[in-house]
Formats: sequence, structure tokens, C-alpha cells
Amino acid sequence: MANALGMYRTVKRLGIPDSNIILMLADDAACNSRNKFPGCVYPAAARDLDLYGDNIEVDYRGYEVTVENFIRVLTGRMDSSVPRSKRLLSDDRSNVFVYMTGHGGNEFLKFQDNEEISAFDIADAFEQMWQKKRYNEIFFMIDTCQANTMYSKFYSPNILATGSSKLDENSYSYENDMDLGISVIDRFTHYVLRFMESVNKTSQATMQDLFDMYDPDKFASHAGVRSDLFNRPIDQTLITDFFGGVSQAEVLAPEEEFYYSSTPEGGHQQESESFTHVDSATTSGAVKSNNDEIHGYSDLLSVVQDLQREPPKRDTTGLFRTWVSSGLMFALVAWVSMRK
Amino acid sequence: MRWRLAIITYIALWLTSALAAYEEFHELLTFRPLSDGKLAARFTFTTSLNGTHPRDPSNLADEDQSQHYTVFPLALGQVLREYAVTELHLNLNAGKWDYDHWGYPDEPGVGTGAELWAWMGESATRSVDERWKGLRNALSGQFCASLGSLDDQRTTSPELTFRPEGSLPSSGGAHRLRHGTLPSEHVCTENLTPFLKLLPCKSLSGIASLLNPHRLFDTDWHGLSVHVRYLENEGIEVRLSFQSVFDPVRYTGGRRAWSLQSVFDRVIDRSCPVARSSEIRVAIPKEENNAQITPDFHNSDGEHAIFDVLNASKPLDVAMNWVNESAFDYNTVLSGVPLTHISVRRTLKGSSQSRGRLAVSITNNMPITIQTSYLESMPWLLQFYLHTLQVHSNGVSRDDLVSIVSCIPSVPHARPTLFQAILTLPPKSTLDISMDVIKPFLRYTEHPPDAQRGWDLPPAVLVPLLPANATVLTDHPELSLSEHKMDGFGYPIRSPRRMYTPVLLVDLATPDFSMPYNVIIMSCTLIALIFGMVFNLLTRKFTLVRVSSEP
Repeated sequence: MANALGMYRTVKRLGIPDSNIILMLADDAACNSRNKFPGCVYPAAARDLDLYGDNIEVDYRGYEVTVENFIRVLTGRMDSSVPRSKRLLSDDRSNVFVYMTGHGGNEFLKFQDNEEISAFDIADAFEQMWQKKRYNEIFFMIDTCQANTMYSKFYSPNILATGSSKLDENSYSYENDMDLGISVIDRFTHYVLRFMESVNKTSQATMQDLFDMYDPDKFASHAGVRSDLFNRPIDQTLITDFFGGVSQAEVLAPEEEFYYSSTPEGGHQQESESFTHVDSATTSGAVKSNNDEIHGYSDLLSVVQDLQREPPKRDTTGLFRTWVSSGLMFALVAWVSMRK
Repeated sequence: MRWRLAIITYIALWLTSALAAYEEFHELLTFRPLSDGKLAARFTFTTSLNGTHPRDPSNLADEDQSQHYTVFPLALGQVLREYAVTELHLNLNAGKWDYDHWGYPDEPGVGTGAELWAWMGESATRSVDERWKGLRNALSGQFCASLGSLDDQRTTSPELTFRPEGSLPSSGGAHRLRHGTLPSEHVCTENLTPFLKLLPCKSLSGIASLLNPHRLFDTDWHGLSVHVRYLENEGIEVRLSFQSVFDPVRYTGGRRAWSLQSVFDRVIDRSCPVARSSEIRVAIPKEENNAQITPDFHNSDGEHAIFDVLNASKPLDVAMNWVNESAFDYNTVLSGVPLTHISVRRTLKGSSQSRGRLAVSITNNMPITIQTSYLESMPWLLQFYLHTLQVHSNGVSRDDLVSIVSCIPSVPHARPTLFQAILTLPPKSTLDISMDVIKPFLRYTEHPPDAQRGWDLPPAVLVPLLPANATVLTDHPELSLSEHKMDGFGYPIRSPRRMYTPVLLVDLATPDFSMPYNVIIMSCTLIALIFGMVFNLLTRKFTLVRVSSEP
């Protein structure tokens, strides 16, 4: 749980508002009566930094943290009465950061010890997001056992992915808190967060700097990076492109301003940054987007229409396949019985 | 010419300011030392929007008027107007309220978990149920709670128990109640954060600055609530309230003494400038005269010491001390009489996973006969066998003491049971009600992720009603059951004294969750066997082989 909250703290510190973060936490560790420190979650046994703090908004918690809800957040297929704080309101100019942590295995991640999401599910959800123009770029980070298998199935463009450990490797925790009797944070996330503490809003640190920090000796596992789907060179991709709410304002000359203000894109404020995040044994996730317009809704409608158009086609091919295969079966049986 | 223009401008300005809704914000913090050494604290933030009406549900199809507020919470106002809600109550509580030792709470809604109820007018364009669904989704986003899962399987309309606390507008259609509880919901910092954002001074100044999550969630009982009501001739009132029961004996290591610093780890440095009034009231214990309150209070109404935060010298740290008391004596607690008119205990008996018995035992602590309404709003996870209902008063069967007002049986996978009854409690006696229940089987997908833990069942709610013989009241004014208390701002609190029982945990039969895989493996094996045999029969040729007798 501290993994997810650590990421939450980092993106919030770097200027992304709560309205653009979707945090999913399956556990109530902070206010559980067995927590010796009520309302607090600490990322280290020293207990010097409280991640829960005074100001936190958890968008999905408890039983709401399910694979279905997570996929719905990504793809934007929601009931119309679902509030804005529970939606990923992103468009083709949004950068989305997805962080997931929990118990995982080869190509799956467990949610609530009950169901699991597979690498194929996430890859398909991202492809759907791409087709519906719900992201500009995605940075996917995962900290589970055998985490690198989770991003191996991605096939949509503009996705940068990183994971904590290779196939057949475990991700280990960083340290235990003897007073609480639990491990508080994982090694991979701990070192990533430590690196992030050195980043501020104006930082020019790039993704390459983050990946260069990876050290198999410290992590006790081989963290991986997948950048073949990503179009930009990663040594020119700023960390704040995904983690920080940095808006760039262009100052225009007065007469030009008059000219531009008649067009809908008057202010020329370019916003990027989005963020998603899931932790699953303590399943939690967070999603961010900076563009607050409701693009998702029109997308949703178009998806529904596509689905409505498809079924007849699928029926005829299905029927055809059924008859052909059963015909083959009959032919086989006849041939076998006729054989002398 | 110029002065005329000035006068016209002045009149126009005066008119607009008079016509515009008139908003007030009051804050109040009350402390009440409890008989078992604990300390009940209640924060109340009241925002009233005078001269306004709830949205008329018949105009839901039309464009709504624009909303401009100065101190009224806009985020809540938008939700109220979008779904045309007349009255709304949301409680998020954790812990069990101990009625016997703590008495009646200041805010009556103390049932464990989340509770939401709303009165809404009927409308031809959007039905009450549709707006109820939208309302709970909107509030779940607003307050970071799982209220979205308060679906039809948990929604009832117990109109006998949950009467409107304000008034219902006479214009428009009939009003309907929707009520739902989620007993397993927990309360934490993420619920407090949006709560504080609704206050005009956030948690920066005034008494709201005392709301320190690390201390508030370390209490024996804590709960936050949002109440919206419409008062005829007044306007719409939003009351945000946080109630908690601290244990100063635990903090100080044996003594009852407390101060703002020791309880909240904070003191008041600044007052909230937009608050019309800002008060701290400390109840003065009646029977003990060694209680000492510091600093000197500004005012007193006999029962409370009143501190005016707006005019007090800062930083303000109210403290209370019991002189000559070195350690709190718990023996006085054990001998104490219950502080409420009735005491209720509800249990679920039976170890079987298919049937059980629900038993409620209600003790009347008063020397007079009183009546109480009894409400069970039970999800279909427990189904009542009403014909097995048995009533005993002090061991004697007395079926005449229960009159069932309504009972809507549950529909599996769809609708909860609603059971409302009026009970008559003879003086100083215990009434035992019990009935058989069955525990249904759930579908494989209906189980929660931690299915083995069981399901929390919502609390039963009892409302003590006026005694049948009202003349007793003149002799015993302390027996009065309805509250005629006024809150700090002259508005009568018309809420009845509802009593919530603790929640129950029911253990339902859980399947072996690996069963689908077993079924798949089993059926695959069977298919392979059958296919193998059939294939063998079809392809093999059986011929008679003559074994020659010669060796």
C-alpha cells in the first residue's frame, strides 16, 4: 500500500491535482483498528514521512477495486451517473501514467486475492484507449513479482513501460517495520521514490536518468524497460512529462493574440500529464489526466454503436463455422464407419 | 443629475443585495464528559441559505438557474439541485455507540458504517429512483465512499422511522423517502478531506482547524455526517458535523483531564472571519463540583460553559481538569444506571450456515410503559420467517405487545426486507423478540473477495415514542422522549431520538472457489473418456481369432 501512496505523493508533489489522479486502494490499512498509528501509512521503518497525511482522496476503495472497474477507468466505458472524480477524463493530448503493484506472476496481477488481470487485458485496454484517442503517451510502471511479463504483450504505439523484475524473479520488499509487523515498501518502488525526491517541477531529468539508476544489486531483481513502442528518444523525454503538472504558456504578441483568440484554442496552454496507478494485494491505483473536458462520453457512445453494428456479421460467420465444422465431423464419422 | 444617478445606483445595489440569497455560517464545538471517563466532542458547521427553496422536481427538464454562493458549499449545492433533493442525510461512522454509558448522541445517526437517506419530490421527467441512483453516485465521488454500491438490494423507504427533520415544500408532488445503509464501510482521512473542502475556512482557521485526522481516527468512536434540510420561511440549511468520543484517560495515563492540545494536538490560533458565530461549549458535570474549566469562560447557560472564539484571546486552549483526582475510578461506571430510556441487544443465534434465529431483547429502564418503533431493513442475505415470531416479556409469552405496521418481504438478488413494528414495553421489564431466519445461497459471483469473513448486516433502528399515558410526563419531566432542544442558533432540532443496534455479522455458506476449475477438469476428463471409448468402438474391428488347438 505504501508503494501506491508513495507514487501518489510524488505526482501530487509535482503539481498534479487530485482531480486528475485516480487512486485505487483495496485496503483500509490507515484507519484499520489494528494499525498502531491511526491515519498514517509510512514508507519506511523510521516513520519519518507519513504518506496518508491530512489531504488524500481515494477514488476507488475496498470492494470497488476490481479488474472490471480498472478496465472501465482506462477505457472510459462508464454509467452516465459515475462522477467525474472516478473517471479518466483524458484525450489525445493527455499523457497517462499507470502504476500498478501487488502480487503478480507470469503475465498476471492479482486483485484482492480473488481475481486477476492478465497482460493481454491491459494491452487490449491500452489499444482501445489508443483507438478512442484517450492518450497521447502512456508510461506504465509495475512493481510485482515477474513484473516485466506484464508489459510484454503491449502492441499500441507511444507506450513506455518499465517493471521491477524479469520472468522467474521475485520483487522483494525493502524493509520490515517491527512495530507493525509488516513489510512497508518494495525495493524497486523505494529506489524510484528516492530518485523522484530529487526531481522537482522544473527538473530537466529524463527517463534515461531514471532507468540508469536501476541497479540489480540493490533491487535484488532485474528491472526492465520497454521502449520499442515509444516514438521519442527516452534520453529526451522529461520525467515531468508524466509525473508533473507543468503547463507551458506561450506569450503572444497583442495583435496576434487578438487573431488567435477568435479560434477555439485561444490561450495556447499546452497541458500534458496523466497518471494511473494500481496496487493490488493492497490493490490501489491511480489515474491522471489533465484535460478536463468530457471527451470520454462521446467516445463511449461510438463504442456502443460499433458493438451494435457488429453482432449480425459475427452471427453469420459463427453459423458458417458451426455448420462447416459439424459437417466435417459427420464426414469423419461416416468415413470411419464406412471403412471396411 | 449626478446625485439622481447616484441614488438610482444605490437603490439598485441595495435591491440586488436584498434579493440575493442571504447566507450565514455558524460553527460550534461542544464537549460532553461522559460517565465512563470518555469525552464526547461534536463539531457542527451550519450554513444557511436564507430565502431559497429546494429545486422543484417538476422543472427538472428545464435549464436550472445559475448558482452563486459565497459560503454555501457549491459542490454540494450542485448535487442537490441536479437531483432536486429536498432533504438529505449522510452518516459515515466507525465504532459502536455505547448508549448505556454515553447516553443519546448529539447527532442521532450513529449506526456503524455508511447511511444515506433522502426525501425527494416526485417528478414526471425523472423518477425518484433514477435520481436516487444519481445522488448516491455523485455523493460517492464527492465523499470518496463506496456509496455507489447502495443499490436496489439495499434501498428501502422506512417512512415511520426516518421522518423529515425539516419541512417539505407544499408545492410540487408527493415526497418519497429513500434509505440505504452500508455497514461495512469504513471512515478515514479520505472522507474527511472532501468534508473539510466544503467549509468556507477549510481547516485553516476557526474551530475546524482542530480537525486533525491523526487524532480523530484514533478515537473510540468517530463519525462524520452531512445534513441538508429545508426550513419553511427560513431557507435551506446544510449542517456538517463531526462527532467523536475521545478517551483522555488513555492519553494522560489514568486521569480524565483534557485540553484542546491534548485531545487534538492543536489549539485555535485564528478565528474564521466569515463565521457569524463561533463557539465552544463545554458541558459542566452536574453531580461533581470539583471540575474546573480554564480559561475563564465568557458566558454560561447553566449547563454549558461558553467560549466565544471570535472574541477570545488567541491562541485559545480550552482545558478541563478534575482537582484532587489522581486517577479515574472505573467502579463508578459499573454501578451506573443506563442513561437511555431503553437498552437494546440484538444477536443472531445458531451455528448452521442455512438457518438461524434473530433475537432482539429490549429493556425498558423507565418506571412507565413506553412505546417504541422497531425497524429492520435487512438485505436478502437474511430472510425472515415471520410466522415464527415469538414475543416474551420477562419470560411470559405476550404477543399483544407487538403490532406489525408493515412487512415487505425480500426478493432474492433484488430487494431487501422492510419490517416495521410498534412495540409496547411494560415498565422496568425486558421484551424478547425472536424469529427464525434462513440464510440463502449466493451465486458464485455475488461473493465479496474476502467471502470467508462473512457479511455485515445493517443495524436495527428503534425510536422511543411518547408514552401512551402522557399525563405521566407532567410528573416526570425527565422522561420526555422527544427532544425539544434548540441548537446554538435558535433552530429547533426536531430530530427524534433514534437508537441503532450494533451491526451483525452473518456467516453465509461459501462455495469452494476452486470449484469451476474442478468442474472444467472433471468434464474434460469425462469427455475424453467418452470420446476415447466411442472412437475405439468405431475404429476397432472385432474379429474372432481362432486359436489353433495345436501347440
